[in-house]
Amino acid sequence: MIWFKLAFKNLIRRKTRSTLTVAGVAIAIAVLYSLFQFQQGYQSQLKGELGALGAQVMVVPKGCPYEAATIALHGGKWPRYMDESLLDKVKANPGVAQAAGVIMDAVFAPGNKNVILLGIDEDYMKLRPAWRINGHWFDGDSSVIMGSTAAQDTGVKTGDYWVVPEKNARLHVVGVLNRTNTQDDGFVFMPRKTLQKISGLEGKLVLILVKGRQVEKTDALVASLKASEVDMNVFPLSELLGTISSLMASTKVFVSAIILIAVILGGVGVLNTVLMAVFERTREIGMMKAMGGSRGDVFKLVWAETILTTVIGGLTGVVVALVSSRLVEALIRGMIPYAPKGSLIGFSLPTLAMCVVLSLVLGLVAGFYPAFRAASVKPVEAIKAE
Amino acid sequence: MGTGEFRVQKPETRIQNGGPGAGHDRNRLGDFGSCPKPSAVLAGGLVRTYRRGTEKIQALKGIDLDVRRGEFVGVVGHSGAGKTTLLNLIGLMDRPTEGRLEVLGTDVSRRGVRLDALRRKNIGFVFQEFYLMPTLTATENVLLPTMWGAARDMTEIGSAISGRVPSRDRAKELLNLVGLGHRLTHKPSELSGGEMQRVAVARALINSPRLLLADEPTGNLDTATRDSIFSLLLALNRDSGLTVLVATHDLSLESRFSRVIRLEDGNVV
Repeated sequence: MIWFKLAFKNLIRRKTRSTLTVAGVAIAIAVLYSLFQFQQGYQSQLKGELGALGAQVMVVPKGCPYEAATIALHGGKWPRYMDESLLDKVKANPGVAQAAGVIMDAVFAPGNKNVILLGIDEDYMKLRPAWRINGHWFDGDSSVIMGSTAAQDTGVKTGDYWVVPEKNARLHVVGVLNRTNTQDDGFVFMPRKTLQKISGLEGKLVLILVKGRQVEKTDALVASLKASEVDMNVFPLSELLGTISSLMASTKVFVSAIILIAVILGGVGVLNTVLMAVFERTREIGMMKAMGGSRGDVFKLVWAETILTTVIGGLTGVVVALVSSRLVEALIRGMIPYAPKGSLIGFSLPTLAMCVVLSLVLGLVAGFYPAFRAASVKPVEAIKAE
Repeated sequence: MGTGEFRVQKPETRIQNGGPGAGHDRNRLGDFGSCPKPSAVLAGGLVRTYRRGTEKIQALKGIDLDVRRGEFVGVVGHSGAGKTTLLNLIGLMDRPTEGRLEVLGTDVSRRGVRLDALRRKNIGFVFQEFYLMPTLTATENVLLPTMWGAARDMTEIGSAISGRVPSRDRAKELLNLVGLGHRLTHKPSELSGGEMQRVAVARALINSPRLLLADEPTGNLDTATRDSIFSLLLALNRDSGLTVLVATHDLSLESRFSRVIRLEDGNVV
């Protein structure tokens, strides 16, 4: 412990320089933590969002499945539709336990807020066993159920009437969903026929969510659905997860390169600072040796100083990453076409441990040469040196 | 190694009344009776040559030397005479180019002898410049040499690492000894030049050395402080029997040594 105490005291002798060096490492580790956590959070949130759909298979109109998935997950206006009659064909498949047809639209509420409208029926409700409605299910064509966030955004509660922006339709709010922590919180649900009518999309569907009778036979179900109808895209959600993940993976190389450069720059900064300190302290090091310090002792001390610098930098970096997580998340979200909702950069003990270990390794590597130089100082020459 | 042999007495009783070689008959390093005391430093034909570019500089030109244990020896000479080179060799910070050198009974001119371990266990150094760590207190500075080699030595040095009381107590004891009992927690910037040198002396004594080497220890001090530091070294020699070698160019101090080795241009004259 006395080694680290002495090493720490040596560091604070040059406060500005040590602070700048720690800052260099902190920035590198903050970048590492943020990007790594973003990727981890992305995967886990995406899995959560897909799981919240309550289905194993998605049927969407012909077109880009990635785009369709984005619409399915976050809602929106997508100018591709399927004929509603496909829903009956899907339901008729013996492998299908439940199938829910969904129509979607998006409108702008006052304040330029985007409100996602979902037209559903009771089959959709069956895919959502966790739903708890503060109120009751649709009691007529003019009913609407608000997701918890949507209710907050629109400022309505159960029993109120809500006029759908841009549509001039007055609907009765029969219920508000308790918070589900899924994408459903942001949606406004109404009977499918109602939305089809007010949006002029009678007989159209945007997607069909399908729950198979046996999860392990999902591939067979997909094949069977594909064979039965050519005018739709059928894909399992696991495949969708893979597709989005592989899109993200393509950015991984780029992200890793950024992290690597940041860490190398941090390491070079540390090496430079410690090496400078060793040169400046030649006489002091000579003195330590004169007092009986061996090569190993001096090596250990300088190494301890470097490790302390990088570990403090690493921990600071994690704190910086956590504090600035919202900002970083917003920046990254702005750069990629699709990102799951919810917080992606959060506290993670394994990532923290990884950052600390990396800081430690950085210290060991960056400190090796300066420690070697310090250990090689000859006391006689050091004490003579001016 | 002289663990625990250095007995602490009240500083004022030791620093006063110190005459040259006053401690010789109280040598606690061994009771030799009427026998001649063994050599602390024995050198024969000691040569140290340096290279500066293509130039070859012979700093010591074949020195013969015998310093007995418990002696208080002055190595005097003008600047460039070879005093520091000689002290560096005796202090095991350097190896002779030629000749034989025995320090405390070990032939250190042989290759393969681990000088740092020998130095740590047996030799204390005091320099003209104090080289105190600015961020450490006086006590911590004194304790500093106990860090080195602790893992290997497993002697009382280890107790400093483990934070056991004796080492810290010993540091305080030594600071009391050099008259700085009231400055234990002061940092070097809060001490005068003389006080800093006293801390350096205490630091040199922390590992209970058998040989104390001081290279121009009073070179940076005013006359009054110089006398007080010199008296301290003298008292250490007298009271504990510690062998002390002081290199100085200050010829006015010559009379206070029990013996003087005069160097000139790399030779003993």
